[in-house]
Amino acid sequence: MKTVETIINPKKRVGEESPGKIYSDKLKVRARREWRGVKDTFYDYTRWLYLLSVLGRFIMVPRNVKGFLRYRWMMSYLFVPHGMDKFTIGLRDEALRIAHTSFNFVIADVTQAIANCFRGDRRVGNDTEYSDKCVITDENSMVTFMMGFDKDKVHTILREVPTMFASNIFHQFNVMHYLDVAQEYGISGDVCPMPEAEAGISIDDDFCVLGCCAVQNNTTCDGSLMGNGIIAKRLEREYGIPTFQLATPLRHKEPDVLEYAATEIKKAIAFVEEHTGEKWDWDRYFAAAKRVNYATKCRIAQMEINSTPYPQFFGAAFSLYNDTNYMGNSGRDPQFVKIDRKLLELAEQGYKAKRMYAKEYRHRAIIWGVQPQYVIDQLYWLLQCWGIVPLTDMLSVINTDMIVDEDTPENREQAYRDMAMLNMEMIMRNHTHGGYKVLLDDLWELCEQMNADLVMMWEHMSCKALTGMHGMFEEQGRARGIHVMWVSHDLCDPRVFTRQAIRDQVNKYMRTVFREEPLDPSLEIIPDNEAY
Amino acid sequence: MRDLKYLQYFEDLLQQADNALVEQAKADGKICVAYTCENVPEPLLNLDRAVSIRLSAPNTGSIDIATYYMTNLLCEPSRALLERAIEGGFNFADCVITPDGCTMMNRCVENMELLQTMGKENPNFFHEYMEIAFKNTESDIDLSVLQCTNHVLKPLAEKYGIDTSDAAIRKAVEEHNRVCRVIRAISEFRKEEKPRITGYEFHVLCLATYVCPKYLIIDKLEETLEEIRTREPDDKKWRARVLVVGSETDDSGFIKLIEEQGAYVCCDRFCFGSYPGRVPIELNDEEDALRQVCRHYIRNCHCPRMMSMDKVYGRKQYVADLAKEYRADGVIYNQVKFCDPWAYERTLGSSMLHTDYGYPVLSVDRPYNVASSVGQLRTRVQAFVESVEIKKLQGGGKA
Repeated sequence: MKTVETIINPKKRVGEESPGKIYSDKLKVRARREWRGVKDTFYDYTRWLYLLSVLGRFIMVPRNVKGFLRYRWMMSYLFVPHGMDKFTIGLRDEALRIAHTSFNFVIADVTQAIANCFRGDRRVGNDTEYSDKCVITDENSMVTFMMGFDKDKVHTILREVPTMFASNIFHQFNVMHYLDVAQEYGISGDVCPMPEAEAGISIDDDFCVLGCCAVQNNTTCDGSLMGNGIIAKRLEREYGIPTFQLATPLRHKEPDVLEYAATEIKKAIAFVEEHTGEKWDWDRYFAAAKRVNYATKCRIAQMEINSTPYPQFFGAAFSLYNDTNYMGNSGRDPQFVKIDRKLLELAEQGYKAKRMYAKEYRHRAIIWGVQPQYVIDQLYWLLQCWGIVPLTDMLSVINTDMIVDEDTPENREQAYRDMAMLNMEMIMRNHTHGGYKVLLDDLWELCEQMNADLVMMWEHMSCKALTGMHGMFEEQGRARGIHVMWVSHDLCDPRVFTRQAIRDQVNKYMRTVFREEPLDPSLEIIPDNEAY
Repeated sequence: MRDLKYLQYFEDLLQQADNALVEQAKADGKICVAYTCENVPEPLLNLDRAVSIRLSAPNTGSIDIATYYMTNLLCEPSRALLERAIEGGFNFADCVITPDGCTMMNRCVENMELLQTMGKENPNFFHEYMEIAFKNTESDIDLSVLQCTNHVLKPLAEKYGIDTSDAAIRKAVEEHNRVCRVIRAISEFRKEEKPRITGYEFHVLCLATYVCPKYLIIDKLEETLEEIRTREPDDKKWRARVLVVGSETDDSGFIKLIEEQGAYVCCDRFCFGSYPGRVPIELNDEEDALRQVCRHYIRNCHCPRMMSMDKVYGRKQYVADLAKEYRADGVIYNQVKFCDPWAYERTLGSSMLHTDYGYPVLSVDRPYNVASSVGQLRTRVQAFVESVEIKKLQGGGKA
């Protein structure tokens, strides 16, 4: 089997030696925050205060208070400061700053998304003028078809992000109710819980109701496609909000689907124009395309740094920042450029200083599959507890091709194809769909490129696209001498696998297969099953 | 009723995928095109020397090896097909053509390919995967034409020298329609007050048209149709008439189980069924045949994978229309366990058929091999039949 050289961190970690001690089995939050030495604790604290200020500004608006009291999922709002600490376990120096820079920005973005939802929501803000310029899209939707619209005039509302996706990250029990609602309605319990929870929110009538129209997508899977029907029925028949289904071919590596995908993008744009009364602007599109390319360059550079012995930007912050930037932003917001630049500078600085974030780096792992929402800190835990460096996760392995960003007549046609390509190669579905090569072969190539000796395979038990290749992962991994460590979970339902049950799968593998002891025994068992 | 002359014959053919007629077709020099989904235009798989065989795994027992490859979280049909392929049960196939319709069936065929379960001795053997349409628009038809050209016609022509001309397509459509017309004519008898064919018998005949070379059964089907015309129906009064809706139903035992509880299966809307799979394809002389075939499949597709809302609502309307046409008292929505598309379709369909159209609905999930869960299913169907009877006693079948 392949092995990698263990790297010992020559520097003693400043501050808390054993972060496991700050967890408490008596509290639903940690007993205290992590001590990181004076400099980093001060920095961490100021960022924490910044976060509180973001949340404070949000709740100062009366309609947001009304929304807070109306919607059950808003409970998660209370746990955001606690949730942010999940992204910084054991981190110091540049990695701490990268996590805060990226994720604080994501939190501010989601907070703004909630504020936008409440502003237009018929039950809360009921700003009809605003609502009439809002386009609802799915949580798992590339918003490339909005790149040419003025974002201050046409508002893209990814209403499932704060309602389901983000709320589950900050409060592990938050979507259980909606899963129960969906299953009481009759949907099987074995489908992916994410679209099921979204359907449950719709059935429970707990989505904000706003917008002049909605664009749905068949990313990412059969469950996602099918859940849309339930949601669209309510939107159309009960609330009179017309929906457009943006069909996105699955076999995205085949050239013979591209024209169809591009035609669908054109239709989506025409649909938005028709319902918002706003016109597509090519200048705006190509400006956004430049930003998409810049983000792509930065992401490639980050991956190159992570391929070295001293990775800097990793874990859930890497994944969720990419999610937000690549998918939810798609070059529309110039603010991301500054953040991209800053993150890359920090990563380069850390790399030059050969910064390490655990006592030892024993294994280099590719994280494949889909991460559980409620154990979002697992990758940091892997590093701190077992010295496994998470080089990248599957959701962050996305497009590396540049799109056309100069306005010419030919490029305008190509631009539709570029948007279609980005849409087809949306996060997750670019590997889970499109044939087995993008799921299997891409993984082994990545192991080679990033010098990984281990694949931690998230086995999201309801993700049929992944589990359908279980045996092939086993056989091909064995043939290549790569360890494949399976970690099962149920994405956003902690009743099926608790957090510790998930960690125990790693603990058992590390002890029985690698015959290793944890770097930090205080983290092996953490009493956080009942924590938010 | 008197037994149908060929019922036993057709039942025997359904006992294994590699049945006697498949072997005969091979001996006749035919090219066996295996496929896994109703979204592949069937006449295109029956061009020239090609014959289509829809893969099924009757009498499935253990699926342990397939479960190792695909886990126990994937639907049983996909695992049963892979298991059968690993066992060598599909070695008759000269190629496999599958659409990327549902993820699980796609993964099933991909595993078959990676494990090289078929075609080891055949250098021309190929696997092809098609993108299929999501909506009912002209660009979806364009997509379908392109996909059929690239993933069906070209490989068949290049690997096996199959004639894929417009004339060949028209001929294949006519042969396809001949089968469809027989099945539709037999289906008409299900509308009778005292039907002279049971739902089970009908399903056996219909199923045979998917899993056997059509040219080898058409004469017996036509003879059976004539036999039914003069068949004396039983005096037996059925307790209820039900329409069965759902996904892969290649196990006639399911229909038999329903009818054993006194519910007559008067109509079917499922994969391997007569609606929409045995609706004849009408061709005109102006447009090329391939495009017309693709249009037919898209317009008549009621697979939950079709995502536009006209299709989402249209599927329920279609079921309601069939229920009305065949005078169903109730609707049974069934889903094979772990099937994502039908998990949602069953839920929304059973809800809408009840609330919007007023039909009593039984919504049930089931294993692929019905024999493994007879007791539970029987109880569910019994309770449903009783509830439909009570509703009728109280003044009408519909709610």
